[in-house]
Amino acid sequence: MVYRTLKRALTALLAVAGVALALMAMLLLAQTAQNSQAFNRLHNTLLAVNIAGAAILLVLVIGNIGRLVRDYRAHVPGAKLRARMVGMLVGLSVLPLLVVYYFATQFINRGIDTWFNVEIEAGLSNALDLTDAVLDSRLRDHLLATRQIGRRLSQVNERQLYSALSQFRRESGANEMTLFGPNRRIIATSTDNAAGTLPKPLAEEVILQLQQNRPFVSLDPLADGSYEMRTALLVGGRSANPPGVLLAHFSVPERLGRMAASVETSNTEYRRLVFLREPLKSTFTLTLTVMLILSLLTASYGAFVLSSRLVAPIQDLVAGTRAVAEGDFDMRLPQPTRDEIGFLISSFNDMTQRLAAARREASLGQALVEAERRNLEVVLARLSTGVVALDLDLRIRTANQASGAILNADLENRVGERLSDITGNEPLLEQFAAAAQAHLEIGETEWREQIVLRGEVGRRVLSCACTTLPGDEHRPAGYVVVFDDITALLQAQRDAAWGEVARRLAHEIKNPLTPIQLSAERLRHKCLDTMGEREAQILDRATHTIVQQVESMKEMVNAFSDYARAPDIDIGRFDVAKLAHEVVDLYRAQDNSVRIAVHVDPTMPPLEADIGRVRQILHNLIRNATEALDGRPDGEIDLSVSAGEFEDIDVITIGVEDNGPGFDTATISQVFDPYVTTKPKGTGLGLAIVKKLVEEHVGTIRADNRGAGGAVISIRLPIDDAARTAMIARSPGAAEKRRERA
Amino acid sequence: MHSRSSTSLTELLALAVLGLVLPAAVAQDRPAEREGYFEVRSASTTLADDVHRLDARLQLILSSEALAALSSGVPLTIELQTQVIRSRRFYPDSVDAEIAVRFELEYRPLSQRYLVRNLNSGERESFATLYSALNNLGRIDSLPLIDDSLLSVDRPYRIRVRTLLQTQQYPAPLRLLFFWRSQWQLKSKWFEWSIER
Repeated sequence: MVYRTLKRALTALLAVAGVALALMAMLLLAQTAQNSQAFNRLHNTLLAVNIAGAAILLVLVIGNIGRLVRDYRAHVPGAKLRARMVGMLVGLSVLPLLVVYYFATQFINRGIDTWFNVEIEAGLSNALDLTDAVLDSRLRDHLLATRQIGRRLSQVNERQLYSALSQFRRESGANEMTLFGPNRRIIATSTDNAAGTLPKPLAEEVILQLQQNRPFVSLDPLADGSYEMRTALLVGGRSANPPGVLLAHFSVPERLGRMAASVETSNTEYRRLVFLREPLKSTFTLTLTVMLILSLLTASYGAFVLSSRLVAPIQDLVAGTRAVAEGDFDMRLPQPTRDEIGFLISSFNDMTQRLAAARREASLGQALVEAERRNLEVVLARLSTGVVALDLDLRIRTANQASGAILNADLENRVGERLSDITGNEPLLEQFAAAAQAHLEIGETEWREQIVLRGEVGRRVLSCACTTLPGDEHRPAGYVVVFDDITALLQAQRDAAWGEVARRLAHEIKNPLTPIQLSAERLRHKCLDTMGEREAQILDRATHTIVQQVESMKEMVNAFSDYARAPDIDIGRFDVAKLAHEVVDLYRAQDNSVRIAVHVDPTMPPLEADIGRVRQILHNLIRNATEALDGRPDGEIDLSVSAGEFEDIDVITIGVEDNGPGFDTATISQVFDPYVTTKPKGTGLGLAIVKKLVEEHVGTIRADNRGAGGAVISIRLPIDDAARTAMIARSPGAAEKRRERA
Repeated sequence: MHSRSSTSLTELLALAVLGLVLPAAVAQDRPAEREGYFEVRSASTTLADDVHRLDARLQLILSSEALAALSSGVPLTIELQTQVIRSRRFYPDSVDAEIAVRFELEYRPLSQRYLVRNLNSGERESFATLYSALNNLGRIDSLPLIDDSLLSVDRPYRIRVRTLLQTQQYPAPLRLLFFWRSQWQLKSKWFEWSIER
């Protein structure tokens, strides 16, 4: 950006410098044309200014050509149009310039040539020759006359020289006649000049000529344009008159002189013009050539500038259109003029403004929709109900966290998968997909069903409802399946039902048992002694059976009572290891046939729980295991208590393993239901009560068969209140059970 | 007025053109032609009647182009430039007086004589040969330069003289053309000496 600005500034500076130099050159030229001294002084500056001006123009034109070629090759928008415009403008200027140049040079050359004519030249030359011949004839006459005067003077004695010389001068028509003696001394002179000026001196060239024994003749132009003839020769030689030089001046007749001067002047002027013809032609041709070059350069640069200005709005438009195509609606183009292009740019700006406004509104709407979607996601994420949205081709579109938790699967990573493609080690999800698919594939889009899923940890009952997502008029946008895990709810209902049964049994059955027992004992007490031996034996056995069975029924009713009774939970902190040892010691004292091993972690922290309930849990588990090992000589029970983390929650894990027959695999999922037992003894309520107590502590319990034979019951209890809270947050169903029990 | 302005424009254009193209034209000089040269062989001043008078001997050899122009009727102007320079200690020397004497040399075809005219005094003299005309031009005798009273007594003075072929009297196009042609750039070096007082 800075580079571009600098470049523009430099170009503008160059253009301004070119114009300034041109103006400066003109001023200098104007000055130097009037003053030769100034020209001599300023010629270097003048030359530099001219060259600089032309060089700047040349640089600008070459730079523009280079840029245009580069743009053209790079397919810069507007480059082709600009190249065409420059070509047209330069062509339009070059053609007339060349025509004008051609005709101007022709005109100048021929015009200058027409000044000269062979006939005129010959005529002028002949005129000069003729004049020369005439004057030469007169010169010869004057020389002849001077010779005669010289001979006559040699016969005149010295005293009569002046008068004789004056006479001879008048006779010959000379203007002045002088006789020089040795050393150029004037012996006598005569002139027709009344002013009596000094005689003209004897020139060196006259002496040199006469020393060669040749007479001297000369035609001398005078300052007033006329001519004067001079003749000189040696005279004397006799004893009376020493040798001397006679110099005579003759004037040329005025008319002849004027004509001769005219002929000479015309001839000289003509020859001067002939001499100057070629330099003038060269000068004017060169002037025109350089003007042509400068004009071409100026026109070319002007073409570039003009085309740039014309194409710039179009380039802006192209750039703007590209920007709009790339989604930049905020682009506004500068409005250069009020012409049609300006109107077009104005319309473009209006269009982009409206597009930008429309996009802002769309973005706003999209943001609102997005916000709503995020809100919905938050709501769905916090829902304990599973929600799975499906496309029309039964691909998972979205699924909330609860759905993954219920189905024990990572549904968020399965978005985009078809229901039919779901296989693998997620049995709950697989069964759910199969059930949903069974409905949807037969076109049943609105359905409600309770689905029972069987997993490794037991069965789960889901209450499912499916409906279509609103789409267009002809087809829905997809389906949404909403489901709840009602296993806990059903279990709670079942537990509640059993509790009610137990309460009624306890109430309805326990009450008559005591009168029955008392009646049987009284009957025995009253009648046994009065009966014979045989009847007495029968009565004794019958009453004994009645009392024994009533006791048994009382135990059973008490067990029911315990199951139904739900005293307030009393949370306290105690050492669970110590508790385990106390419970185990009781059983060790009762039954020596079963070996009970206790494994506890000595560093285990205390447990926050209802100590009575935990004791009952341990009692029930060990009794359950002991009963399972009844009759086995090598019965072994391992009770382990340890602290650890389960899903980042601090828990106490209690495990009871035995080497008994283990659970029936068909009913292993129902071992915690009341009256589900595989043992010959027992009420069938032991594990049900344990499960209820564990759930009251927000714990988990599971039953498995050991690989080596035998059963294992594992219990996890949250170690303190914070862990219980975390457990509740992890499994919302547990809270319901706890609330219900508590 | 109109004629004058058009002439000025032509001169301007011609000067512009020649300023650009004449370096090339200079290179076209034919080597066989005589270049010519001007030289000041000797020069001195004498003080007579409180006037410093110049005596100088000049060697004036005309170039082929100048001779051709002369024989074509183009008069040549030969200038003798004299400067009286006052030497200064801490400043550049000052030219206190500058005297330029111009002679016009012209060939008259009818009389076949060379006219030498002193453009300062108007005196004229004709010669039968170019040699005698140039020889006459080269003899400067007792040319009054400057009155001694105009010179400071306690200042040293130098006089320098040179001669050159002047072309400023020609039309502007030719003037520029002649300026760039070496055959028309006939100019001697300065011949310089101190005034003895």
